[in-house]
Amino acid sequence: MKGQPPVSPRRGAGHRGLLAKMAVAAAAASVWGPSRGLGQAGLLLLRRTGVRGLARSQPERQQQQQQHFSSLDDKPQFPGASAEFIDKLEFIQPNVISGIPIYRVMDRQGQIINPSEDPHLPQEKVLKFYKSMTLLNTMDRILYESQRQGRISFYMTNYGEEGTHVGSAAALDNTDLVFGQYREAGVLMYRDYPLELFMAQCYGNVSDLGKGRQMPVHYGCKERHFVTISSPLATQIPQGEDACPGPAVGAAYAAKRANANRVVICYFGEGAASEGDAHAGFNFAATLECPIIFFCRNNGYAISTPTSEQYRGDGIAARGPGYGIMSIRVDGNDVFAVYNATKEARRRAVAENQPFLIEAMTYRIGHHSTSDDSSAYRSVDEVSYWDKQDHPISRLRHYLQSCGWWDDEQEKAWRKQSRKKVMEAFEQAERKLKPNPSLLFSDVYQEMPAQLRKQQESLARHLQTYGEHYPLDHFEK
Amino acid sequence: MAAGAGTAGRLLRLRAAGAGGRWRRLRGAGVPRGFLQPASAGEDTAQSRRVAHFTFQPDPEPLEYGQTQKMNLFQAVTSALDNSLAKDPTAVIFGEDVAFGGVFRCTVGLRDKYGKDRVFNTPLCEQGIVGFGIGIAVTGATAIAEIQFADYIFPAFDQIVNEAAKYRYRSGDLFNCGSLTIRSPWGCVGHGALYHSQSPEAFFAHCPGIKVVVPRSPFQAKGLLLSCIEDKNPCIFFEPKILYRAAVEQVPVEPYSIPLSRAEVIQEGSDVTLIAWGTQVHVIREVASMAQEKLGVSCEVIDLRTIIPWDVDTVCKEECFLNLEAPISRVCGYDTPFPHIFEPFYIPDKWKCYDALRKMINY
Repeated sequence: MKGQPPVSPRRGAGHRGLLAKMAVAAAAASVWGPSRGLGQAGLLLLRRTGVRGLARSQPERQQQQQQHFSSLDDKPQFPGASAEFIDKLEFIQPNVISGIPIYRVMDRQGQIINPSEDPHLPQEKVLKFYKSMTLLNTMDRILYESQRQGRISFYMTNYGEEGTHVGSAAALDNTDLVFGQYREAGVLMYRDYPLELFMAQCYGNVSDLGKGRQMPVHYGCKERHFVTISSPLATQIPQGEDACPGPAVGAAYAAKRANANRVVICYFGEGAASEGDAHAGFNFAATLECPIIFFCRNNGYAISTPTSEQYRGDGIAARGPGYGIMSIRVDGNDVFAVYNATKEARRRAVAENQPFLIEAMTYRIGHHSTSDDSSAYRSVDEVSYWDKQDHPISRLRHYLQSCGWWDDEQEKAWRKQSRKKVMEAFEQAERKLKPNPSLLFSDVYQEMPAQLRKQQESLARHLQTYGEHYPLDHFEK
Repeated sequence: MAAGAGTAGRLLRLRAAGAGGRWRRLRGAGVPRGFLQPASAGEDTAQSRRVAHFTFQPDPEPLEYGQTQKMNLFQAVTSALDNSLAKDPTAVIFGEDVAFGGVFRCTVGLRDKYGKDRVFNTPLCEQGIVGFGIGIAVTGATAIAEIQFADYIFPAFDQIVNEAAKYRYRSGDLFNCGSLTIRSPWGCVGHGALYHSQSPEAFFAHCPGIKVVVPRSPFQAKGLLLSCIEDKNPCIFFEPKILYRAAVEQVPVEPYSIPLSRAEVIQEGSDVTLIAWGTQVHVIREVASMAQEKLGVSCEVIDLRTIIPWDVDTVCKEECFLNLEAPISRVCGYDTPFPHIFEPFYIPDKWKCYDALRKMINY
């Protein structure tokens, strides 16, 4: 992006590091050597270096200091912070009234605001954005309905957040590893995960790559570098250095060691960001210098809990600097803003081996899941506003139309076509059998332990006698 | 677990496991490191008889793995880690304080030898350590995570049970974190009290998807740890801290492995079976000789070694229920947190084990 990027606290480490080393030397000197001579000489050395260090990087401050203090013996030496003294008691006021500004490229009508921020993506690519978002939306409607009809057990829609998925996915390389929470199906959609496989996982049928082990929407795809979703929240975050960030961070560290030129992206909601795992992930990513993008979908609700009950600070973006992490807040319903921010974050995360935090502001238009009825805790009007006035799909459609790349006729045709594709995949998925029950037992370990094999055999015997009481007809023999 | 007080507390408690209060202090260093140096064999016997509730019994020198060297348990661990990092360029070791060598010296020298990107400190956060380790393993690299004391493994419980253990299963084998090993100092040490003495393997014993291993000696530790690191499933390796210095024997310098999920019958016997793992193996060995001497009873002594998946076949044949002449007896700590001053009364020492055996014989 434009202008000089703000210096992250890490960048000051050199100056601080030197001071720290001198401080240790001085301390050691006073322990070992005679307390007077050597100690004082040590401190003198420290002072000189201190002055030079200051003079090179912060001339103004040094001047001010010389005005107020007679000697520089007084500079803070604490290893824990690089900061000046202050003699006035003042608490820092958290700024939540005018928080971190929200970066956007398009206005709510899909018009570019600042032409220099327009990514000037080719028509083909922008159409792919649009088709991915709308196909996802169509699939969501049909699968949500199918749960209502008892055909699948559970579903979660992505209404209103399609822009966050597609904008970010488009800015990554196809081999960048994705750790999601559970509301990022658009990332897979953008990476051309076939409808057949989305459906297979929701139905738990023989085609499910996950072998029917998990509830619907817990997708995973090794080929598309999308790590299988897990339910516990925020657990993917440390991993990604899963809804824990930890694993995401670990994966990013390994990618750095392997010189893979890969970034890891870890998605989570503003609710999951309250988990201890999120804190752990951020801190590890920063201290271990991992090429990772933390992408927070702040959609206003964690089931029924509004953000006012989730946090009191300025959202998630404001936490980044506390960890020493480059951070930005974007309009999540503006697919170009999401794209631009993710693109730049990716470039720098890989080039500089440091984490980036993107907080994408958006709104969860749908219920939390099929087990939720959000009219119990929010007004229909509120939801309707977002659906009608600020939706990522309509904003992009306006943009496409104003470029002359889309019109009402194409819209009609595409709606029909996408619905047909989804229905076909859906009907096929429903007809398929479930996997053989023996698959209940595999993959616990890489090899099947003897005890588990005995249990597998015992179930097989049990079914021979009592099979009529089990839905064996729906399962592969 | 406030870093300041906790760490100081831990350092204080490192006072020679089994050194009977004697501690050699290195000048200038904040950490009393002297006592962490391996004691010579003579001193060792003196130490262990004076304070410990067990006598470490070394196994005969193994001849089939090439040249051996006298090592205590922490040195055996270092040797295993050294072998692993030498052989596997993706392997990394991380955790609290591992960079300078670790609070129990298990990682001494490794950072200098292999570099700071391979042996490094993490922030003080167990859930982060394990989560991070899972992530490394998901990419296929070898992750060796240290949890500073088994007592502190609980913040990582969710990552271990809900994530690591289930990674392969829930993804239909698309993803796994099999190359993760978590190692952690374990068990009573004489003065560890509630938070430096725990043996939490039971919490993990019913969690399918992970393996939990506890060695009884330096030779066992190196072979079992190497197996854990090689194993394609996430493993937890608990190291009996009281044995770090107290246990010394000849250990092969080159890598070797001891199979997991295989219990070892250390001593054949015909009347009673005694089973234990870790430090307690040495207690029951002694109980076995007491039983022979005082009661003329022949004991079979089994070291379980792997807690999950455990070696059912060695321990009990399928018909054993009908063949038992007395109910199974469990001798363990009381259902209280691990106390400080009362440790000598709390632990399942040889007298309690002997008494249980005596009652069993007279059943």
